[in-house]
Amino acid sequence: MSEPVIRVSRLTRSYAGRPAVRDLSFTVQAGQIYGLLGPNGAGKSTIMNILAGYIAATSGEVTVCGHPLPEEAAAAKACVGYLPETPPLYPEMTVGEYLRFAAALKRVPKAQRAEQAEKAARRTGVADVMPRLIRSLSKGYRQRVGLAQALLGSPQVVILDEPTVGLDPAQVIETRRLIAQLGQKHTVILSSHILSEVQAVCSRVLILSEGRLAAEGDIAALTAGGRSLEDVFLQLTGRGETQKGGEG
Amino acid sequence: MTAIFKREVRSCFAGMMGWLLTAFLTAASGLYFLANNLGFGLPDFGYYTLYQTSFVLLLYVPVLAMRSLAAERHSRTDQLLLTSPVPVWGIVLGKYFALCAVFALPCLADAAMIFALRALGCTGGALAMNLASLLCYYLMGCAAIAVCLFLSGLTENQVVAALLGFAALLLAFLMPGLRGLLGAGSAMALAVFAVLAAAVSAAAGLRCRSLTVGCALFAVLAAGLSALFLWRSAWLTEAFAAVLEGLCLFAPFEQFVNGSFSAPALVYYLSASGLFLFFAAQGIEKRRWV
Repeated sequence: MSEPVIRVSRLTRSYAGRPAVRDLSFTVQAGQIYGLLGPNGAGKSTIMNILAGYIAATSGEVTVCGHPLPEEAAAAKACVGYLPETPPLYPEMTVGEYLRFAAALKRVPKAQRAEQAEKAARRTGVADVMPRLIRSLSKGYRQRVGLAQALLGSPQVVILDEPTVGLDPAQVIETRRLIAQLGQKHTVILSSHILSEVQAVCSRVLILSEGRLAAEGDIAALTAGGRSLEDVFLQLTGRGETQKGGEG
Repeated sequence: MTAIFKREVRSCFAGMMGWLLTAFLTAASGLYFLANNLGFGLPDFGYYTLYQTSFVLLLYVPVLAMRSLAAERHSRTDQLLLTSPVPVWGIVLGKYFALCAVFALPCLADAAMIFALRALGCTGGALAMNLASLLCYYLMGCAAIAVCLFLSGLTENQVVAALLGFAALLLAFLMPGLRGLLGAGSAMALAVFAVLAAAVSAAAGLRCRSLTVGCALFAVLAAGLSALFLWRSAWLTEAFAAVLEGLCLFAPFEQFVNGSFSAPALVYYLSASGLFLFFAAQGIEKRRWV
């Protein structure tokens, strides 16, 4: 097996002394789509924020593309594209301006910024709204602009935090199709509490419960013996608030 | 850093704020220039216009800087900046230089007024003095921007950031007068340092989540202050006077207004800017770890 793109070892993150993630260890292999599953408050966003370099771990080791965090933060961040739960958009900018700005932040060479922004916009279906102000876009388009931003600089790993929240059913289906396409070129980590979504697009899952890793593995292996992913999830987390096949 | 600088400048002028603030400061200078320098034929632009209008910075700077870090936190766009391979100091400097560039616009209008005075017959010496005053005024404004940028990073509410900035600059503006009241003796110095020691101890205790650490630190600091008060009260008074002098952000500018070129004043403003930019970067870093 090749070297994992992400290696997390004994990761703990506390907020004001209260642990949100405890003693977590896992690896992420290249070229797969991982689903990060867990009920609300399980620590999904915290893990994603740490992997993206937004916050630091309280203890433990995190290595992204061979670069330890926070020691080689710039190199690690350069190989990660991140779409947080709320897309980080500037409403007063046009989509084109925003994508070129994000490309500059990601150290894309000046000569390639416009081309990369155009390419990311085409992949995410926002090429036709490039001259429009972000404040005038619908939620679905904003989500796609956020996704286009995450793809700039051709990152090895794409991290998506609940990418279909708040979208209408047609947009959800379209976003899932897009994520499946991304999996052909990038390693994707997707957080969700919608089991059907994870089952539809992911090849492997990491199930979290109260900040701990409850299970990890192939969806096919976890659901072997006729069990549904929902049964596995409820058994591991002991909670019933997860939506079964809900669309956001 | 360059991308952040350009975006920040553009966002200032994308709405009304940048234009309004530039017009506001230029109008204030223009009014005093018209009434004093042109009306009475006075060649001293530094005193009659810049010094007389320096109180306007109490409003201009907090409003200019209030959005910088607070708005990024509020709209969660700080996630884009902090997950990109740009170091924190690059983000802080990009924003700081952008605000300084916006502040440079009314200063350029001031420079045009100074050259208008020269065209009307003011001497070369007066021109040099006026330009030196403008340089010091600009650096003073940049130091005030650094203070307000740091305060903007403490909250995600822009109004709170502006109020904090206004309060800090007002205190600095009034400090020369307050210094006379506060600097009466070593007892006052002891009282103020004791309050500071309590604040530092409380912060350390909260940071370590330990009452014992907080109390122990306060006991050590209080013992040190008491020892100084009993045996070296002059040191305490001098240290207190130095702290109060350091808080007089607007005072070093008076040296330029009095017609002398003061390198220490320039160094003071550059140091104050550097210190508060460092605090701003540390504030962002701290949030990522806590």
